[in-house]
Amino acid sequence: MTDETLLSVGIDLGTSTTQLVFSRLHVKNRAAAFTIPQMEIAEKEILYKSDIHFTPLLDDSTIHGSGVREIVAEEYRKAGISLADVDTGAVIITGETARKENAEAVLAELSSFAGDFVVATAGPHLESILAGKGSGAEEYSREHRCTLLHFDIGGGTTNMVLYQNGEIYSTGCLNIGGRLVKVNDGVIVYISPVLDGLTDLQVGQKVTEAELLPLCKTLVNALEDMVIGAGETIPLSLRTTALMKLPEKIDVLSFSGGVADFIYTDSQEDAFRYGDIGVLLGRTIAKSRLYSAKTIRPTETIRATVVGAGSHSTQLSGSTISYDGVEFPLKNLPVLALSEEEQSHLSDAIRKKRAWFSSPPAIFFPGWKNPSFEQISHVAEEILASAGDMSPLVIAVGADMGKALGQALVARGQKGLVCVDSLSMGSGAYLDIGPPVAGGAVLPVVIKTLIFEK
Amino acid sequence: MDKTELRSLVEELLRDLQPSAKPSAPNKEVRENFHDGILPDITAEDLREQYLVADPHNKDAFMALKRKTPARVGVGRAGARYRTTTMLRFRADHAAAQDSVFSLVGENFYKDNHFPFVKTMCKDKDEYLTRPDLGRRFSPESQSIIRNLYPTPPKILLVIGDGLSSAAVEANAVDCMKAIRQGLGSIPLGETLFVQFCRVGASDHLGEITGAEIVCMLVGERPGLVTAESMSCYITYKPYPGIPESKRTVISNIHRQGTPAVEAGAHIATLLLTMLEKKASGIDLGRMQE
Repeated sequence: MTDETLLSVGIDLGTSTTQLVFSRLHVKNRAAAFTIPQMEIAEKEILYKSDIHFTPLLDDSTIHGSGVREIVAEEYRKAGISLADVDTGAVIITGETARKENAEAVLAELSSFAGDFVVATAGPHLESILAGKGSGAEEYSREHRCTLLHFDIGGGTTNMVLYQNGEIYSTGCLNIGGRLVKVNDGVIVYISPVLDGLTDLQVGQKVTEAELLPLCKTLVNALEDMVIGAGETIPLSLRTTALMKLPEKIDVLSFSGGVADFIYTDSQEDAFRYGDIGVLLGRTIAKSRLYSAKTIRPTETIRATVVGAGSHSTQLSGSTISYDGVEFPLKNLPVLALSEEEQSHLSDAIRKKRAWFSSPPAIFFPGWKNPSFEQISHVAEEILASAGDMSPLVIAVGADMGKALGQALVARGQKGLVCVDSLSMGSGAYLDIGPPVAGGAVLPVVIKTLIFEK
Repeated sequence: MDKTELRSLVEELLRDLQPSAKPSAPNKEVRENFHDGILPDITAEDLREQYLVADPHNKDAFMALKRKTPARVGVGRAGARYRTTTMLRFRADHAAAQDSVFSLVGENFYKDNHFPFVKTMCKDKDEYLTRPDLGRRFSPESQSIIRNLYPTPPKILLVIGDGLSSAAVEANAVDCMKAIRQGLGSIPLGETLFVQFCRVGASDHLGEITGAEIVCMLVGERPGLVTAESMSCYITYKPYPGIPESKRTVISNIHRQGTPAVEAGAHIATLLLTMLEKKASGIDLGRMQE
């Protein structure tokens, strides 16, 4: 089978900046000769990185939707890429921007504007995961077999992810970023509500670098407390998510996001040249206990999240799967996830949980390694008894059994079916499935993790 | 040093080298594992999960590497040699490989599953191993049994052959064949033929005898030390004796640690449907799909 490429776009609509990247994903057969093909995304090559634009806002609570669209359209033009060229990708709306009133509408519009199978994503946990992948922190942890805590410090939030030997251990987010305070001509023009009670500074007040330092120290202290396991002392208003769980020992720290550039390299230029406290925050971190011999600089800093969205959001299903009578893409399917315990009484578990969903969910269960034919038949019966009315019926399994199960469902008269395998997802995730690639052998999928549980 | 001193020194050394007077009791571990006269089955342990290095620098990292390979690495050592466990396991796996070559597929395998039985011209395992040519042909009696089973040329003739591993066939063939039949849906299929002393090339004579459009054969692979249970599927479009090997499609590595039998069966079914449509197998089919 010949190798194939997918053109993927990533768009990051952040608190302070909007960016875009185009990547080429190389799909290759990794299986040995004379065995069943095993398609994988073997290589990710970044083709184009956009300029870094300020995210256009109408006011403090509204995104300038058409302004964002113009930026994206202009970058497509500059890259020489048309919408029809784009196979896959993700738009992520991050940090404070995700909390704007029209965030959801802008996100939905932008994802359909950017390409047929460009999915809309948001959420602090997913953002942490994409930044960790996009920065190269995940790879560092895998290659060096170490425990690594990565911070992606943007305008409004700090997304954290902890890796052990390249595997995600936990994720979390704090309301710490470079644009919590905006300064114009030496006067404070904005203070984020998350800082209420943490500073005496007032909007309209003239301010110097020295006067902003105590606030920066407060924010950096919160990050330090996180690392040393004293997270409980972090003020509630600074917590975006529940405190992340951390292991006893952390070997390496790394930073990405706009603020990271001022941690690793500081040009000593005007601290207020971006009209916010980002530079000062970076400098404060560089002088803190967070910056030590254990700190590494990842491959991507300010572009970590957008590279994550562009190059790392799409994955491939297993290579022996079934689908029939379904129009792709399937977008935004909520995931009904079952545990190993629950899958042993599958139909009861599905019946009980499907009532929680307002739209038909994709059903995920771990499956069985090397199942017998009778087991497959039984599973098919159980699924049809509890979810046979769904159309399309979307099943995702962990173990390599998707094609056999799909054929068992079709043999029992199921019309409109997708049955994919070799995937892993949890409750609260959303699933997008794109049109088939590699001669129809595999389906590209994007799994949007909203809650991370280990 | 005078003579007496030297003598006492040598005596002392010799005393140290003597085995202690009382033979030592078997150690605790051995005693605990040995009850009712049955030793634990050392082949039951998954080698990918077995790590025998004492005081490893980073066990987790090594285990992550081990999960990617069936190779016997991270086994530690005793002096310059393998430890006893490693040595015994190696010999046990080798014995399992030999057994599966030399043993026959049990009678109840084909009787219970109602697979009609025929054998090639080999009269026993020894002849099968030494005369590959006989493992590809059927005697006139066997030919007439086969003709009676398939009076009209089947579209797809499904065959299970013992090949070089009876263990592989017993472990995978039934589940795999059921999945193939399920995936083929409405295509009329005759009975699944079981062939004893079967080489892949028997497909060709079967094609000639029955006039089948496709012969699809599940057959035990020559066992190795990783598994004795690996099965292959050979598919030939319009086979005849002397057909080039390049016209066969093969799916190998069907076993519990490779492609699961049912999933392989589902894949094979789709492949068979493609072959019926394209009227080709082997590299002919590959060329059409490029």
